[in-house]
Amino acid sequence: MRTALVVLLLAAPSLALGVTATAQQPVAGRLAGRVPAGVVAAVSALGDSAAARGLPVDPLVDKAIEGGAKAAPPERIVAAVQAVFARLGRAQVALQAATPGVPAADAVEAGAFALSAGLEDANVQELARICVAPCSAAEALRVAGTLTALGVPAPEAVELVRQTLRSGGKERDLLALPGRVEAELAGGATPAQAAAGLARAAAARAAAHGQSGAPPHGPPTSRRP
Amino acid sequence: MTTVLHPLVKRFLDGELRLADLPPELHAEARAAERLLGAVDRAPVTLPAALEARVMAEVRQRVIAPSARRWWHRLAEPWEIRLRLRPWILGPALAAAAVLVLILARSQPPVPPVAVAAAPESVYVRFVLYAPGAHRVSVAGTFNQWDATTAPLAPAGAAGVWATTVALPVGQHQYAFLVDGRRWVNDPAAPMVDDGFGRRNSVVAVTAGAAGARAL
Amino acid sequence: MLAGDTEQYAELVHRYRDRYARFATRMLGSVDEAEDAVQDAFIRAFEQLRQCRDPDNFAGWFFLILRNRCLAERRRVARAGPGTDAVVVLATEQADGPLVQEERRRALQQALLELTPEQREVFVLKHVEDLSYEEIAGRLGASIPSLKMRMHRAYDRLRERLKDVL
Repeated sequence: MRTALVVLLLAAPSLALGVTATAQQPVAGRLAGRVPAGVVAAVSALGDSAAARGLPVDPLVDKAIEGGAKAAPPERIVAAVQAVFARLGRAQVALQAATPGVPAADAVEAGAFALSAGLEDANVQELARICVAPCSAAEALRVAGTLTALGVPAPEAVELVRQTLRSGGKERDLLALPGRVEAELAGGATPAQAAAGLARAAAARAAAHGQSGAPPHGPPTSRRP
Repeated sequence: MTTVLHPLVKRFLDGELRLADLPPELHAEARAAERLLGAVDRAPVTLPAALEARVMAEVRQRVIAPSARRWWHRLAEPWEIRLRLRPWILGPALAAAAVLVLILARSQPPVPPVAVAAAPESVYVRFVLYAPGAHRVSVAGTFNQWDATTAPLAPAGAAGVWATTVALPVGQHQYAFLVDGRRWVNDPAAPMVDDGFGRRNSVVAVTAGAAGARAL
Repeated sequence: MLAGDTEQYAELVHRYRDRYARFATRMLGSVDEAEDAVQDAFIRAFEQLRQCRDPDNFAGWFFLILRNRCLAERRRVARAGPGTDAVVVLATEQADGPLVQEERRRALQQALLELTPEQREVFVLKHVEDLSYEEIAGRLGASIPSLKMRMHRAYDRLRERLKDVL
């Protein structure tokens, strides 16, 4: 028997409880006692490499801590942290290719998340390119990554974000996209169909407002292996 | 004599049936069989980069036939493989209300997590897990450094339901539930990404807007 | 012109190097064997490019080449007899922490290698690659009922093989 959903309204103005702020402690200090010594050494070295490249270090430490908490074998923890490091590097390269200057740390992290969700480097670059102020590249990447994690193919996820921005959508409209895709899924649409339908609707709005000229001729074709 | 699983249990393993759809007398068999799937290693595999050099060394020895050249520009376009996630059912549209996330131990949760804005820096999110038979449940994630001791769930209301409220910093977080200190359970209602350890993490993003907080 | 075409293929190799690595690893039981299979599949794919009738589906076509390579390898191992199976090497035991989950993973991987290649293939595609029966049928050109039959036999064999472990 399932318990039915209950809608509650909570109001509590107090600060966050049970949240550990990420302090700028040395990597070894944060990992001591949480992962094997060999992992501490390996992640510390990766942290040094990341810092030297201007990459955020916290995601590496977080992944190692996660691995320790999940009792993963040391080699797997190191491999997972290496994978995070690689994605951060790829995201940085993609962001730099999109816009000049040093990409913000949160954008690099968001880009790495998007890559882990299934987007490609070219998608990260494209999203950074189409997201001009006041749009936040980090937010666009998180949303696109979340859409992909929901099952939306990467091209459709990027297109949906693109059309939403072109139709004048603000940050709140971007943030609402995953929920809207989920609503379509509840109606029986596939993730690709849901995203394509929303993209077409956004494109139509853009065309109606004369913001983008001729609307696109349908969403990009899904490609399947 | 070989043990043969009940056909309904096989359909359960296929994902066509939920545990609740099975007759009660099959539940134990289904749970035992499901441990098979829990042992599946889904960790991504990365092959050595040197493989590419070896392939290209072989390839450069070969002659490309003229008829193959016209395919290059089409092959060079990016391709994606669609990720398939189990469908879930949405609850009511988000307003300014907080909605409980009912996360089932097996499948089919309906609603994504949402909470109400507290202070601008944080948002309260209520996590609910349906885990009958569990003795202790906690939620761990990037918001508490994966420390399962800081956010235990407590029995709440109906039998088998566990819940807690956690204030999460505005931003995106990955999390999972830990049941009885040994079994990691996802929120199948939430988007999921590979955790790099053979499992998946659930993803929630919280933001404080004018109309209140929302979670993605 | 030849150099240009080759470098474009290098891009494809880079893009798809890891795409099916997990599938090959689960099918063959070790990353080393998967690496060999993927390498061979890339070379075979290059040789047979003119036979790729649908350039819009290179990934799917490459998958079939790799799949056939994996199936052939398992049949070769099966003919060679016991003692030649690759041992799964995902990670060594950790000095601290529970071993149960890792032992279960290894046990299941070993049991997978004892299935027929066709049973293992459908199990890996569904429960590792998370494809639906419809997607698997489209990829392999098989009927859904036949896939389910293979899968359900696999369930029985795995359950029997692992009932004392899981």
